[in-house]
Amino acid sequence: MNSHGSDRKAGTLLLLVVSNLLFCRNVHPLPICPGGNCQMPLQELFDRVIMLSHYVYLLSADMFIELDKQYAQDHEFIAKAISDCPTSSLATPEGKEEAQQVPPEVLLNLILSLVHSWNDPLFQLVTEVDGIHEASDAIISRAKEIGEQNKRLLEGIEKILGQAYPAAKGNEFYSVWSQFPSLQGVDEESRDLAIYNKIRCLRRDSHKVDNYLKLLRCRIVHNNNC
Amino acid sequence: MDLWRVFLTLALAISIDAFSGNGVKPATLGRVPPILQRINPSLGTSSSGKPQFTKCRSPELETFSCYWTEGDYHDLKIPGSIQLFYARRIAHEWNQEWKECPDYVSAGENSCYFNSSYTSIWIPYCIKLTTNGDLLDQKCFTVDEIVQPDPPIGLNWTLLNISLTGIHGDIQVRWQPPPSADIRKGWIILEYEVQFKEINETKWKVTGPLWSTSVPLYSLRLEKEYEVRVRSRQRNFEKFSDFSEVLYITFPQMSALTCEEDFQFPWFLIIIFGIFGVAVMLFVVIFSKQQRIKMLILPPVPVPKIKGIDPDLLKEGKLEEVNTILGIHDNYKSDFYNDDSWVEFIELDIDDADEKTEGSDTDRLLSNAREKSLSILGAKDDDSGRTSCYDPDILDTDFHTSDMCDGTSEFAQPQKLKEEPDLLCLDQKNLKNSPYGASLGSLHPCIALTAEDKPQPLPSSEIESTHQPVSTQISSTASLANIDFYAQVSDITPAGSVVLSPGQKIKAGLAQCNTQPQPEVAAPCQENNSMNSAYFCESDAKKCIAVAPHLEATSCVKPSFNQEDIYITTESLTTARKSETTELAPDAEMPVPDYTTVHTVQSPRGLILNATALRLPDKKKFLSSCGYVSTDQLNKIMQ
Repeated sequence: MNSHGSDRKAGTLLLLVVSNLLFCRNVHPLPICPGGNCQMPLQELFDRVIMLSHYVYLLSADMFIELDKQYAQDHEFIAKAISDCPTSSLATPEGKEEAQQVPPEVLLNLILSLVHSWNDPLFQLVTEVDGIHEASDAIISRAKEIGEQNKRLLEGIEKILGQAYPAAKGNEFYSVWSQFPSLQGVDEESRDLAIYNKIRCLRRDSHKVDNYLKLLRCRIVHNNNC
Repeated sequence: MDLWRVFLTLALAISIDAFSGNGVKPATLGRVPPILQRINPSLGTSSSGKPQFTKCRSPELETFSCYWTEGDYHDLKIPGSIQLFYARRIAHEWNQEWKECPDYVSAGENSCYFNSSYTSIWIPYCIKLTTNGDLLDQKCFTVDEIVQPDPPIGLNWTLLNISLTGIHGDIQVRWQPPPSADIRKGWIILEYEVQFKEINETKWKVTGPLWSTSVPLYSLRLEKEYEVRVRSRQRNFEKFSDFSEVLYITFPQMSALTCEEDFQFPWFLIIIFGIFGVAVMLFVVIFSKQQRIKMLILPPVPVPKIKGIDPDLLKEGKLEEVNTILGIHDNYKSDFYNDDSWVEFIELDIDDADEKTEGSDTDRLLSNAREKSLSILGAKDDDSGRTSCYDPDILDTDFHTSDMCDGTSEFAQPQKLKEEPDLLCLDQKNLKNSPYGASLGSLHPCIALTAEDKPQPLPSSEIESTHQPVSTQISSTASLANIDFYAQVSDITPAGSVVLSPGQKIKAGLAQCNTQPQPEVAAPCQENNSMNSAYFCESDAKKCIAVAPHLEATSCVKPSFNQEDIYITTESLTTARKSETTELAPDAEMPVPDYTTVHTVQSPRGLILNATALRLPDKKKFLSSCGYVSTDQLNKIMQ
């Protein structure tokens, strides 16, 4: 027993040492915090957040491409499937110029809402698609990944808000969430149509988020001198 | 025609009513209006003649334009009366208000251009094509789905490096993204595809998708011309832009480079150098006074030469002189070869031809034994083919067949042998003074003394060693009883075993054991056997055997058998037999065999004797005859 305990100790010690070595390497040297207010530079924050948002957009685009392959020739199906996205109630800017005219903090809040509104539908998608489609595995894995990254994205955007516009932090407003119609007890075609629409909407919204954040970076960090 | 018009107007009126009257049901909120849905399929399968949309594209995600074809609709009353109407849904409201295209001109003919104020990116649009109110085509989309960037611009290339051979080179191709796309702010993300090929080729080589605006191309042949083109597309979209303008790459001719094909093997130079080298060599060889170099380059051919012989003499050709010379050399040769005793020479006894015809070998040996034996020993140590016969190994194998020895002829002719023993016995008496020579001489031809025969390192010494005990034996025996202790081979059985005649075994055995204690034991035997005969009676033998203790016998056995010599006496055999048969024949009355047959010779140290030969049915018969046993008897015994 003694040897076992000592082995355990040695193992944990080794683990600690190794983890220290591994992780301590990646830690960026933080600047000395004046007044205990340690903050990551805004540019770096934005870079990280945009990296995440771009990754989410790529994942959703892939998902859509996978699904679209199945209905590539079925224009009728596609025409039927296109319906309103639940998040369209959010008054998001529709173009670049519009987005540039919206105040940054408002835009940030909108982005927050948008990202937040997808948490549940993503979870739903995973359970719905399971075992249905031929491309379900790809869709499920990507949906899970997007769910993970969205959480990080939320954290990042909140941080930006807190750092750049601390006054507006409390003004998060979430859209009146109109749930995606439940797919319980629905015939197959309707179900397929619903899934197609959902994925299309996901791609659209992640594209929105990505573009908005990039505009914001240019505006806030570089003062429109990208 | 009037009827047609009526029908047309009616149809139009109905369709317009249908449009205006139709409201979106709450249940199908967000869905494409059923009217449109219904119309679409029918229009989708329109004939080729009708005007229809070709494509709609947005190059930068800020504007978009749509294009259509006029088709073969020749019945257009008003040329250019095609109109485009669009509608977009904003905030859950399907705006049925169809607006006309804001710009028919900017995008070219048969197009409609929507600038950024009219463009909403993630909003569904529907457009329709009409002419005089007739619906020609309709389409629904969102702008982010129809992105197709402009081609890149500003292609150029720079040389990176050239290979050592000067044949291949690497270049870097650069371009600018389409100016319309706002890459800087990140509103649109583009990826590129580069294609290049040689001018003569038909198939383009593709590299991509690339996310940067430059790409290296490796290992291009410098003497050839290439063309390069680039196209772009929005990342993770399928639609590529048009290709950029083709860039032609032509490498400047470099005078320093030499083509491989122009390289010719410098035969002329090689020939000249070769001739020069050979000439130098020749000069060195011919005119060099250094013998060494000459020897190296032109080594002398060895001339045939015999040591000691002057080649000139041979040339002169005087035969006698040559003979003498060769004879001298021959002498040297013999000296040389005499050192190697194992070299065997076959001497032709031309001189001894007369001697051969004189009687048998025995006579010769006995008469001239003294001189001859010595001479034989001395001179013919190493030669005469006869010595090969005296190999004990072949005693039992080729005895009866070999005719090489004169001695062997004796064995082949048992008849002869009968007579000889008498001679031997008689003669042996006379040979008191020279037992050594006599005994050796008598037996020399017939019993193995092959020491000189075999490749032994010290044959002479061995002969002496063999002779030593023999001599002691002989001397002892001679001194004792003047009896030759050599066993004479009386007969050879058909089986090939040698039958030795009985001899002064006991005396010899006792003589051997002279050194041993208990001489008094031997005395009676000696005295009894003082008759100086080669043979002795069984009774005498018995006595001696009985008297001679087993111990003595056993002890005496050893020296005889442990000798290195090949010579084995009869008495040694019998003593051996005695030791073997101690257990077998404890009874003194048991007829002790005077002689025994040699079963096999275990060269070179021992003999294996036939045991069965001793148990004789005709014992009494045999024993009664004192001394000599006839051949018939022997044959019986042996069988």
